[in-house]
Amino acid sequence: MSAAAPDAGRLPGRGRSGEPQTLAAPAGLVSDIVAITGRAIRGILREPELFIFALIIPVFFFVVQIGALGDVAEQQLGIANYATFQLPISILFAAASTSGGNALVLDIAGGYWDKLSLTPAHRSSLVIGNLFGEMFAVLGYSVVLLLFGFVIGVRFAENTLLGSVGLLALTLLFGIGFASVSIAIALATGSVRATQSAFIIFFPLLFLTPSALPREMMTGWFETAVSINPMTYVIEAARSFLFAFNGAIIAKGFLAAALFSALTFSLTALAFRRRVHMG
Amino acid sequence: MSAIQATDLVRRFGEVEAVRGVSLEVAEGEIYGFLGPNGAGKSTIVRILTTLLQPTSGSGSVLGHDVVREPTTVRRLIGVALQEAGLDPKQTGRELLTLQGKLYGLKGKVLSDQVSEVTELVGLTDAVNRRIQTYSGGMKRRLDLASALLHRPRVLFLDEPTTGLDPLSRALIWDRIRELRERFGATIFLTTQYLEEADELADRVAIIDHGQIVRQGTPVALKAEVGADVIDVAVEEREVGAARAAITELQARGELPEGELRGTQDGYTLFVPDGPENLAVLIRGLDKAGVRFGAVSVSRPTLDDVFLAATGGRMAAAEQEDQGEDQGREPEPAGAGRRGQ
Repeated sequence: MSAAAPDAGRLPGRGRSGEPQTLAAPAGLVSDIVAITGRAIRGILREPELFIFALIIPVFFFVVQIGALGDVAEQQLGIANYATFQLPISILFAAASTSGGNALVLDIAGGYWDKLSLTPAHRSSLVIGNLFGEMFAVLGYSVVLLLFGFVIGVRFAENTLLGSVGLLALTLLFGIGFASVSIAIALATGSVRATQSAFIIFFPLLFLTPSALPREMMTGWFETAVSINPMTYVIEAARSFLFAFNGAIIAKGFLAAALFSALTFSLTALAFRRRVHMG
Repeated sequence: MSAIQATDLVRRFGEVEAVRGVSLEVAEGEIYGFLGPNGAGKSTIVRILTTLLQPTSGSGSVLGHDVVREPTTVRRLIGVALQEAGLDPKQTGRELLTLQGKLYGLKGKVLSDQVSEVTELVGLTDAVNRRIQTYSGGMKRRLDLASALLHRPRVLFLDEPTTGLDPLSRALIWDRIRELRERFGATIFLTTQYLEEADELADRVAIIDHGQIVRQGTPVALKAEVGADVIDVAVEEREVGAARAAITELQARGELPEGELRGTQDGYTLFVPDGPENLAVLIRGLDKAGVRFGAVSVSRPTLDDVFLAATGGRMAAAEQEDQGEDQGREPEPAGAGRRGQ
């Protein structure tokens, strides 16, 4: 027994009246979220290899696209700098690779979710904290890719600081949407395999976009599909930060990302309610 | 006021009724042993009483607070170490305990003091800064126990805290449980499938089988209920019928008293007064009838005998029948009847 215990001199676990007492007290939602977010970030930092693996595919696509189409795009299609044109795709691709659900589903499968659920913490903090932790990873991916872009010659046409901050903010908002899908699947299924497979459903959203070419060069069904995909507007807004600030395009992008995130976060909330009810 | 109360608890999972009308009451400061084989419904009841699972019907309360209507209050009052120690292997023991403490609203010096106190209590001071993935099974259990104690709960739920542990680790956990009650005055709800554990630690014991409490009382009273000595006789499978016939014949002739005769995995168990005297009668009778039998022993009743008398099966046999996980999520349907009813 520590001599420095707060009620040293009394029988531990008993109040001054001798009545047993507990030290537990309401911590508050913010405190709960901060605690869970801290743990999620610690988990990410403890496994840097996962962080590096998550960057390999976006960097690979980035480099290959530039190598395959860069000259054609710049010389034939009039795109000023194809690396700059592709950078947002790479960053958003990395953001979509978030594994927020993976950490959560491992907690569920391993019993740690139950352990945390037995505390008086707000249960929503268990989800929100994980989501915030994942946003930390998204921010990390985005900054690394942005720096990589700078190294290979990507430049913001206007204000670099404002452009960078805007691009990162848009990416985070978009990232919340994708992480929410992963977390919803984790909560709904409790299955590690199902959660890890969630990435498959992102492909149509990510590739039915003006990722390789500007939208005005597309035709037919593909152009229609691209036009109704909210990701299109996110990508165009991201490019607007790099090439030329356009308030309307940027606003549409933020709106699309916000709607997408609101929708997927609603799914997460439903899955969360179901899991809490199921026990 | 009772520390724990359950009234007519029922929990169904689809067609399976895992808990079938369980009522119990645990007094403050009591160690209450909840004994039963895997799949009996122990963990489901723990999950209901600790707010992790809602009952299909019935009610439960902890220190007067309803587990369904006031779950947050109940969570502040209880500490829980579940059967599977769910711990994050990437954190260190200290990080896990600190996080746990924060979620209980502990801060600053109180939190750091409590972390030191509970790690010392469970003997993990030297390992607390190591990542949990390096811990042995026994160390994980002790860390789980430490995390359950961090906020000085008034009621502790320990769900099979020693299952799968080596004898040394088990003895250490037993010591800690005794110490918790003595030093902290905590009420302890202890589920176990180890008869000796319930016998050793519990003030009162409830025996649960197939989702129902079949006996409840102090270990001494329950054993006294058996009301006799216990003679175990091992008989080969092919001699089972002959052995039963011979024993029944001895009872019919009045050479053996009319005690209860139960079939077991190894042969038969006979509950009779004056065990040593009747042992000799039994051996002579079986020998005379030409029954080939193995080891014969006489003993005072144990909780296993109480279980046998109450359910018609030994705990070990029930374990083999109910191999299903008793996690309160996917319980196995109730097992089939047992041999020698």
